[in-house]
Amino acid sequence: MNWLTSFFGKKPELTPQQVQRLAAWQALPAPRPGQKLRESRCVVVDVESSGLNISRDRLIAIGAVAVVNGRAQLNDSLEIVLQQAHVSAKDNILIHGIGGTAQQEGVPPADALLAFLEYLGKSPLIAFHVAFDESMISRALKTFLGLDFRHEWADLAYVAPVLYPQFARSHRSLDDWMGIFQISNYARHNALADALSTAELLLALGQKLEARDAASFRGLKSLERERRRQIQPV
Amino acid sequence: MSEAANSLIQATADHLSQFAPFDQMEREHVLWLAQKLALGYFAKDEVVLSPELADQTRFFIIKQGVVVLGEQERSQAPEGSAWLELHEGECFPLGALLAKRPVTGSYRAGSDVFCYELSADDFLQLTRLSTAFYDFCTRRIANLLEQSQHLIQAGYSKASAEQQSMSSTLSAIIRREPVTCSPDHSIRQALQMMEDNGVGAMVAVDNQIPQGILTLHDVLSRVALAQTDLELPVIGVMSTQLTTLPPHAPAHDAALAMARQGIRHVLITDQGRLVGVISEKDLFSLQRVGLSRISTTIRHATTLDQLKQSARDIQQLARNMLAQGMVAEQLTQIITTLNDLLTTRIIELELQDSPVQQIEFCWLALGSEGRFEQTLNTDQDNGIIFALKDDEDPAALREVLLPFAKRINLALAECGFPLCGGDVMASNPKWCLSLKEWQNTFDKWIYHGAPMDLLHSTIFFDFRPLYGAAYLGEALREWLQEAAPKNSRFLHQLAVNALRNRPPLGMVRDFVTGDDHAIDLKMNGITPFVDAARIFSLAVGGAQTNTLQRLREIAAPLNISRRDIDAYCEAFLYIQLLRLRLHHKQNEQGETLTNRVDPDTLNNLDRRILKEAFRQARKLQTKLGVDYQV
Repeated sequence: MNWLTSFFGKKPELTPQQVQRLAAWQALPAPRPGQKLRESRCVVVDVESSGLNISRDRLIAIGAVAVVNGRAQLNDSLEIVLQQAHVSAKDNILIHGIGGTAQQEGVPPADALLAFLEYLGKSPLIAFHVAFDESMISRALKTFLGLDFRHEWADLAYVAPVLYPQFARSHRSLDDWMGIFQISNYARHNALADALSTAELLLALGQKLEARDAASFRGLKSLERERRRQIQPV
Repeated sequence: MSEAANSLIQATADHLSQFAPFDQMEREHVLWLAQKLALGYFAKDEVVLSPELADQTRFFIIKQGVVVLGEQERSQAPEGSAWLELHEGECFPLGALLAKRPVTGSYRAGSDVFCYELSADDFLQLTRLSTAFYDFCTRRIANLLEQSQHLIQAGYSKASAEQQSMSSTLSAIIRREPVTCSPDHSIRQALQMMEDNGVGAMVAVDNQIPQGILTLHDVLSRVALAQTDLELPVIGVMSTQLTTLPPHAPAHDAALAMARQGIRHVLITDQGRLVGVISEKDLFSLQRVGLSRISTTIRHATTLDQLKQSARDIQQLARNMLAQGMVAEQLTQIITTLNDLLTTRIIELELQDSPVQQIEFCWLALGSEGRFEQTLNTDQDNGIIFALKDDEDPAALREVLLPFAKRINLALAECGFPLCGGDVMASNPKWCLSLKEWQNTFDKWIYHGAPMDLLHSTIFFDFRPLYGAAYLGEALREWLQEAAPKNSRFLHQLAVNALRNRPPLGMVRDFVTGDDHAIDLKMNGITPFVDAARIFSLAVGGAQTNTLQRLREIAAPLNISRRDIDAYCEAFLYIQLLRLRLHHKQNEQGETLTNRVDPDTLNNLDRRILKEAFRQARKLQTKLGVDYQV
């Protein structure tokens, strides 16, 4: 199976059990809009892939940690490696540290992605530079589950500069923002470790979010839009 | 949710395991803990936990940043809430969670802080799950101290796994069944048995009850040189004044007994029956310098040069004992005991052929020596109290005593006790007084309470008789016990003075340090305890001079809980131990001995205990402040 298959709309073949799991996830109710972060669950996610090409590179691993009622719940976290037919290039392995054997011994993609969906539920997703994570995850879901993944995402790469305009120009990467809040990372470029750092960034932004009455997923989205308008005026 | 521990849980467990008490816990329990944790963030100055947030009481472990307990720079913090800073890996609160009550102080973020949080229920479950964790929560300082003690011993003792500490019981040290004979055995038989069994001492027993002891050392003078008939009963040449200790007594008791009495063997008896003989060799097989050998040498010294050598031996002995992990209380006691002997011998030597023999006087130990708290660098503080017969003129007696005192002061200086910078020495006419004169002097200090009077009382009120007519010193003490509690203004002034010196718990980092990035363990660590104990002791008319004994003595009259007193004592002893270790290191490296330590040179654990110890000092000071309305 490769990216062409999904491109031409050929449906992946799922076991009845997989179909059932997917249907169960789809049937879950959507969360109430406008829920406060300190009273709800959202999931902070990061992915590792075989490269940085959104349309060609493959999703290798997903790391996610849930922020529930304003606290990152360590055990409400997910770390999953998708089984790869082809091991990614050596220089790529050096970045995320998931070796050839680990890639081949990963969870079969359909099951891995179902596990991700079941873990996620309908909680909104948060990431740093959403475009990449979202494309990787959506394409994999389309490829392996035939799912059109239309989910709520908020992007801290756009939210943070609005709250800290003084850093907006100079601080673009996750590392930059981690530096400001002295956020540590137990294994940079491990998807789960990066997801945790992103979650810590979200927590650290909390006070400013509260001050702007934006400590909700909806609030995050509105700040994100504000930032997009700033840098790409319509 | 993931079933097995993923990399985040593993990494969190790894992080926690760098800190006490998690480093002592089984991996499985740390993983259990990591899986229960939530991670929260607090912006600088945000309240993390306070008495008002009772329903949010949970267990916090700092992942990153600084949390401050209590209000900053509040001079009158309520009792028990003296403030302190907590850093990465430290956790709070313990007491509130164990007792299921709200916290008493408030915890604020001193910087941006990430904290792991555990629910109160999970906390309690963890105390049931992990013994190490429970132990830490309930015994905190004691527990940290034990860990530190292990580290010290590991650091000092080079590959001597069998080394026994001076706190082991004597029963653990007894090596063999005692070799005994009957009192009626002949001297020859007894000596033959000693030879056959290769022992240095023979004990005569009657129905297992020891009657006398004969050591090889005694044989020389009592048998060989005295040409005693070997067929006589052995009991006739034995020492019958026996020193016995029970099997559960710690080894240092035997060491002290040997030092005080200048003997080499102590009998171990259980309900009167002999169960073993402990020799000096048994106690200090690892030491080059024996305790009783030093004391014997001092007793028999005839020249100052011999005493100077003994003074060096005392230092060496102290270092060896430190290396063996002896605790500070016994170590300072032994140093003081030996220094007392040394001083006594110096005085005895000076007394020979001296007109002072005609005067009834008592040599007073003051300051730290008076408190039995001498460390390796102590300058001398001493005085003389003398008796007046009929209508003798004190000035005339002083004239005789002063040159004598001067020679003693100089001799002590040669033995490594530097002359006192403030001239608090017996050779100073101001401190060589009759009983009446001392009482007048003390009375003036108590009545006037001028700054110099207060300073003097912190040195002089710790006096104790060291040599000579002890009754004079005791009379002065009894007088002071009566006089001091009566003047509350004086005690108030002492308290004001004492509270000027606050333990250096820092605002940003752990400790406030001086320009040399160091804290003074004596000034900032020991003195707050010593001062507070002295004031409380004077107030209740106590007789003790030792800080620990004073603290124990004031517990009942001042209604301080046993637990608080224990915590004060442990904290005091810990700082004392740190001082001894510092001196030891400086000695090894040939540096001048100081009390200043750079907190960055301490390991993580020691820094934490020191902080906790300073917190105890503040707590004691808070009580002082409340009692005297400072």
